[in-house]
This record gives sequence, C-alpha cells and structure tokens, in this order.
Amino acid sequence: MSLVITPAMLGQVIVSGLLAGSLYAMVALGLGLIFGVMRVLNVAHGPLLMLGAYVTFWLFSTVGLNPYLSLLVSMPLLYLLGMLLQRFLVYRVVDAPELSSLLLTFGVSIAVVNLAQLAFTSDLRAVEYLTGAFVLGPIAFSKSRLIACAIAVAITAAAFLFLQKTRLGKAIRAVSQSREVAQVCGINVGRIHGIAFGLASALAAAGGSLVAVMVAIQPEMGQVYTFKSFLVIVLGGAGNYPGALLGGVLLGLIEQLSSLFLTTQVNEAVAYILLVVVLLVRPTGLLGGRAS
Amino acid sequence: MRRASLTGLAALLLLGLLLYPLEGTGYGVRLMLQLFMWIALAQSWNLISGLTGYVSFGHVAFYGTGAYATGIVITKLGWPWLAAALLGGLMAAVVALVIGWPCLRLKGPYFAIAMLGLNEVLRVAASYFEGLTGGGLGLSLPTLHASVPIYYAMGLTAAGVTLLAYVILTSRFGLRLMTIREDEVAAEAMGIDTFRYKLYAFLLSAVGPGIVGGLSARDQGYIEPISVFPLLMTITMIVMALFGGKGTIWGPVLGAVLLFAFQEVVWARFIYLHQLLFGAIIVTVVLVMPRGILGVLQQKYNLPRTI
Repeated sequence: MSLVITPAMLGQVIVSGLLAGSLYAMVALGLGLIFGVMRVLNVAHGPLLMLGAYVTFWLFSTVGLNPYLSLLVSMPLLYLLGMLLQRFLVYRVVDAPELSSLLLTFGVSIAVVNLAQLAFTSDLRAVEYLTGAFVLGPIAFSKSRLIACAIAVAITAAAFLFLQKTRLGKAIRAVSQSREVAQVCGINVGRIHGIAFGLASALAAAGGSLVAVMVAIQPEMGQVYTFKSFLVIVLGGAGNYPGALLGGVLLGLIEQLSSLFLTTQVNEAVAYILLVVVLLVRPTGLLGGRAS
Repeated sequence: MRRASLTGLAALLLLGLLLYPLEGTGYGVRLMLQLFMWIALAQSWNLISGLTGYVSFGHVAFYGTGAYATGIVITKLGWPWLAAALLGGLMAAVVALVIGWPCLRLKGPYFAIAMLGLNEVLRVAASYFEGLTGGGLGLSLPTLHASVPIYYAMGLTAAGVTLLAYVILTSRFGLRLMTIREDEVAAEAMGIDTFRYKLYAFLLSAVGPGIVGGLSARDQGYIEPISVFPLLMTITMIVMALFGGKGTIWGPVLGAVLLFAFQEVVWARFIYLHQLLFGAIIVTVVLVMPRGILGVLQQKYNLPRTI
C-alpha cells in the first residue's frame, strides 16, 4: 500500500483534527470538572450527551427550532438533570473508592440508555440542517463542524472565564483544590458539588446538540464519548482543567492523523497506545494532574 | 461438629454437580456451565480488585483474549479445544503482563481507565486484523457437541480459581496484597515490593477469564468482537463479586449464584426493562451494601477474614 501524502492532505487532516478536538475538549472539560471537584469518574457523561442530542432532534423535528439555538434549551435542561443526579445519587459516592463512582454512574448510564430506547426507540435519527463545506484553497471546512467548533470554543472560553473570574468559579476551583480548606472558608461544598455536576452535564449537552447535526442520533451514541473524554482527561492530567483542553485537541489530531496513515478503525487504538505511553513517561498526564 | 457437617454438605453438593450431566437436560447443563463461568469470572476479578483495591474496569478484555486465542488456534491450527483453552489462559496472562507492567505503577483512577481502554482497544484490534480474527464477521468454529466435557472443564476452572483465592487469602502473599489495599504507602514503608505483588495478582487474575473465554468460545462455536468484549460483562462480574462480598473467598461465588439465579428467574421476563433493572441493581448494591453479604456478616458476627 503506497500512499503519497501531500501537504494539502496534511493540512486538511490538521484542520479536521482541530475542529473535532475542540468538541472533545469541551465535552471532556465537563468530565474533568466532575473528577476535579468530587473525585468521581462519571461513566454517564456520554449518555448525558446523547440526551442533549435528542433534545435538539425533537425541537428541530417538532417545532423546527434551529439546532444551534436548541443549545439554549438542552444546556439548562441537562444542568437541572445533572444537579438532580448529584443531589440524589452521586453525593453518596463522593470520596468513596473509585469503584463505587464507576459502578454507580455505570448503573445510571445503562438505565438512561434503556429509558431512551423505550422512549425514543433505537431508530437512527438525523437533524438535516447544514450540509456541505466551505472550500479555502486545497482545504475543505465542513460547515457544520466549523460552526460546532466555533460554538464549542466560545462555550469553553466562557466556562474558563467563569472558573477564573467569578466568585462561584473561584469557589469551584477552591473545592477542587482542597475541600476542607474551602469548607473552612465558608464555602457550601455540597452546593458547589451540585453546581459542578450540573455544569458538567450542560457541557455534555452542548456537545450532544452540536454533534446532533453531524452524526446519526441513537440511544447508544454516547458511550464512545465517555471513552474519549476519559482518554482526554488522562492525557491532559486528571483534575487539571487546561489539561483537558490540550488533551481534547491532541485526541482530535491523533484520530485524524491515524486515519490518514492507517485507517479510521484504529484511531481509538492509536490514541490509547499514546495514552499508555504518556502514563509511562508522565504518570500524572501531560500538564500534571492529581492522584485520587 | 459444625465443621464436619459443612464438609459433608460441600461433598454432597460436589457429588451432585459431578453427576448432574448424567441426568440433566441439555439446557440444564448449559445453564450450569454459564453459572460456572460467572463464578470463575467474578472470583478472578476478586483476585486483583477485591484483594489489592485496584479496580480492573475492563476485566472482560482477558475473556475476549482467551476466546480469540482459542478460536484462532482451533480454526487455523486444528488444536484440540482443551489445549486451546489453556493457551487462551496463557495469552490472557501475557496481555495482563503487557498492560499491567506500565499501568500497575499508577495510583488512583488511572488503572481503572487504562483497563476500560484496553477492552475497547482489543475489540477494535479484533475487528481490524481480519486475516486472523475474521474481523467484524467473526470466527466460526467447527461444529462439536461437547457440552458435557466443557461443563466439567468450566466447573474445574471455577473450582480452581476459588481454590486459588483460598490459597492466596490464607497466605503471606494475600496479606501483602491486602496491606496494599488498605494503605499502599504504609505497605511500601514496611518493605513490600508493592508493584511486584500487584503484578503477580494481576497475572493470576487474568488466567481464569482467559480459560473461561476459550471454553465459552468452544461451547458457543462462534465469536465476534462485540460478543466477547462487552463492557457489561465486566460490570456483571464486578457486581457479582461486590454483592457477595469482595475480598472474601466465598463472596464472589455466593454473588454469582444469587445474581445468576435472579437473572434467570426474574430478568428473563422483562426483556425491554432488562438494562434498567440491572442499572437499579447496581445502584442499590453500591449504595446499600458496598461490603456485600459476606462483608456485612463478617463485620456483624466477627467472622474470620478467610470466609
């Protein structure tokens, strides 16, 4: 199999990688937030993304709402759901060994997927909204992916601004640095946990609404994002928020590069091998994270 | 006296299981075969995760490895199934060595995530190397009606892994593993080479699922990537071990028997709600009895550590 790789192909791959990576970064930031704040590994992150995609699909197919505007519905809805999940179930496994949080959220995850199958059936759904691409020289930019990337970057930037500048954001970071000290400073840790889980779910929902335009929607679409988000946060360093961004972009690039040099089938495997190598060289991820 | 009657009961049970295929229906034999499989899987998971606290969140990877190793040497090289299944166990241990050597040095959640990833990657690999594995189409094994011999082989595996758990739990090796579980830093300070013992436990815990995977592949006669690497199977063995009591000898066995029976009797009636119910069971076990049945009894009645 001889394959000539032209600079244009490489450029195309890098562009596609960055476009995909920005979405991964946003979704994984949610997962990283939950882990950072309460040391919970949320396996249900992908299924929450799936719910976000369904919100967009139903709003689009019943009332014809613009899929990008549906973010304004899917994010608050999932924020609420995330908060409820935290308030009623997840708070019990905060600080428990990781087995508890993994299993509990897995239980939630399969229950959510099963409910989605019952409510929405397993039919493949699609939001046919934006197709085609802008062409700039030798490189094509898929319209839906470009817009998704722009929105993801904006949401991620907003999330970071929120974490950096606002009192609530500072409280969240304080809790993820040291729960005890945060508590001593008068921060209501339980409330922060709920908000963090809600925000993370909203980020997942945003991811779901954005991919709804690009991929087939079905109840099991989310699991692959759970796995990718885990890869991303470990690559970047679990509990390290800028690390999630770096990891996301990296994952997008690796996937595209490996589909150029190998086949698309193996890009998860390539990303995983990279993960193991990173863990060997820097056990706490590229930007340094925390052990549990 | 109590001990003697217990031994008598166990001997009677063993005799019953030995003679069962003579009387039982084909369906019954297959059912028991599956129960043995779950006991072996739950007990194997217990060896690494119940004893050291390192959560293997992709233990089914070893089951799938065994299934594929067995399937390949049977179809391509014409090996007899028993030898092929043993090779499956060996190959699973090799995979465990390759993945455990880098990943068991990590603390915290990284090991769990790495194991979750391993399973995904092996599934991808199984569909990618089409020449060897048949890719997504799967691998059909030559027809063979050997449920009864496989029943004995599977039963022996389940008994073997449980015996292994007994030997480990009552040895210094087991004590070291449990020290690692309770406090790894303290274990290191006491001079335990934690990495080495974790790796030993991990290798041992991979062999059982490898053999079981091989035997199941032979019994079912057909394997495909999705059917031998399901995350749900990992979760099922974990929940069984957890429900019965992880870190004990008989907990995983008890958990496997109870959940398997429950599955056959209750779940089979609710096909559409299957996953929802299982999700509810998982959540309940984690929240209500994370120590499991034997764990609770152990604490309440001051039972010995080695039950």
